[in-house]
Amino acid sequence: MILEKEPLLPRNSISGFVSRTLFSRSWPVIDSIAFALVGLLLVLSIVGPWLAPHDPYAVDPLIALEPPSAANWLGTDDTGRDVLSRLLAGAPLTILAAVSVVVGATVIGVLIASIAALSPRWLDDAIMRVTEIFLSLPSLVLALGVTAVLRPSLSSIIIAMVAALWPPTARVTRNILRETMTSAYVESARVIGVSRLRLMLRHALPNSLDAVYVLASMEISGSIVMMSGLAFLGVGAPPPSADWGSMIASGQEFITTAWWISLFPGLAITIAALAFGLVGDAIRRINDPASRRTR
Amino acid sequence: MTSFVLRRLGHAVFALWGVMTLVFLMSRMIPGDIAAVAAGRLATPEQVEQMRVTMGLDRPIVVQYFDYLAKALTGDLGSSAYTHRSILVEIGEVLPSTIQLVLLGMFITIVVAVPLGIVAALNEGRARDVAIRVLLVLEGGIPIFWLAIMLRWIFGSIFGWFPITGENSLGAAPPDVTGFTILDSLLFGNAANLADSVSHLILPAVALTAPYISTLARNVRSNMLTAMKSDYITFAVSKGVPPRRVVMRHGLRSALGSTLTIIGMQFGWMVSGAVLVETVFGLQGIGSLMHKSIVNHDTFAVLGSVLVIGFVFVFTSMVVDLAQMLLDPRVRAAQGGKS
Repeated sequence: MILEKEPLLPRNSISGFVSRTLFSRSWPVIDSIAFALVGLLLVLSIVGPWLAPHDPYAVDPLIALEPPSAANWLGTDDTGRDVLSRLLAGAPLTILAAVSVVVGATVIGVLIASIAALSPRWLDDAIMRVTEIFLSLPSLVLALGVTAVLRPSLSSIIIAMVAALWPPTARVTRNILRETMTSAYVESARVIGVSRLRLMLRHALPNSLDAVYVLASMEISGSIVMMSGLAFLGVGAPPPSADWGSMIASGQEFITTAWWISLFPGLAITIAALAFGLVGDAIRRINDPASRRTR
Repeated sequence: MTSFVLRRLGHAVFALWGVMTLVFLMSRMIPGDIAAVAAGRLATPEQVEQMRVTMGLDRPIVVQYFDYLAKALTGDLGSSAYTHRSILVEIGEVLPSTIQLVLLGMFITIVVAVPLGIVAALNEGRARDVAIRVLLVLEGGIPIFWLAIMLRWIFGSIFGWFPITGENSLGAAPPDVTGFTILDSLLFGNAANLADSVSHLILPAVALTAPYISTLARNVRSNMLTAMKSDYITFAVSKGVPPRRVVMRHGLRSALGSTLTIIGMQFGWMVSGAVLVETVFGLQGIGSLMHKSIVNHDTFAVLGSVLVIGFVFVFTSMVVDLAQMLLDPRVRAAQGGKS
């Protein structure tokens, strides 16, 4: 019973995870920049639409295909819409959507992993086999298939991406959980009669979540690129949606005369993917179990 | 060893069955009237009814499922709702183009990424290593469809070094025998055709490689780091083996173990990357076919492509696993011990 009141290891919480990450001693300059950028992008993806200097959907043929100028900093597209305003309006559709995809896929992945790790061997095997089937299709192709079945919209892209991205999380988490369930402290809790469900929820899962956060943070960058790729192919929100992938697609045919329509959204995606990628990598390094064990 | 091969084969068969089942389930999740979707937008009510019977949609779902499996295994993926031709035939026509693009992309990836990874590992922590890593991070974040547009714009339109669209210039296409333009040019020994075919593929292939060079080089780097720190390397060095030989023969050979797995996975990923690149460059591959089918609401053609790409993916990962067992004594030992 003492064990139950005072767990052998401190329970990991999101706040602990965040503070350990933010107040880590090893802090290269490039990572600070990346963290700042990620912060900025997240803020922009919430308030961006209100910062737009022009109406991102206002069509004005008189100023179509204008190069970058004082009035339109990043130029205008083929229907005279301000590219900068559209970039800002599209930030939630790209970044916020990509982040929510990762959150959704992680929640589903962890849920399935927990069920598998709690189940008897045969059910665990069956669940993992199903996960493997999802993994035997490249995620972009799987997502394209799902979007083809559903009707093109932002929500069908999100559903498709969650369907494509939960399996890796489920597999990794399940392996970690299985390993944790055999560790000494879980064994000792089991010996004193703690139920299997409680073992999982109170002991194994909290101590496995760090790895899950790391995995999730590393997936965001790829999710942004994949999201915009799907939108580029036209399976996302229908026009006049200003998500960055569709903006690149619509500027494609004007690339020789009006390069700014495609160039800037692509730069935005690249910068966002880089910043999230670097942050994910930094989070992984800081929370690396190998280095934490020696702490 | 035989048991490992058999087990791997069994695994592949299971994965294929799984992919077929998944695609079947997806096709039955189409909202609205499935037969109407399969028959196409212009179909008359009679044609829709006929499609319902052909597809067996009036029968129980279990019967439909086994029917689907039987048809898929005999290569019957139905007909396109847009062109009304056999989906498998349409895919078969364009698949060589994609495989050719992906193979060229793989070649570029390996030729660039492996040396980069080795150089970075041998200079761990020094300026060269840092420079390579920054480069790889940068390149890994670029969306390939955007890179494709930019490459086409810069090197195709502005500099005019490469053609901007299609597989061949007008009149420069080799006779179509295998569907692989490069192979066909070689078969007929036509240098002009070969040059034309290759120049049409360079930009798409380079665009396709971007994220994969990054992944592969990082993998080689970390494997190489582990390998170079192991005892047998220290032993080889102290024995007086020349440094070049230590790196190439002792270090690299063991480092390439998991690299081979990654290369195999990348083949499948690149096929999906080709969806984005082919669309930009107007190449007639499975990617542009998928895109066209999506635009035309030809859902069953999309699902057919998903199935074929799944088959390619499962097949290549099996080949790579088997190759790895042949090449890597450690894998062989581990498998031999298990069985």
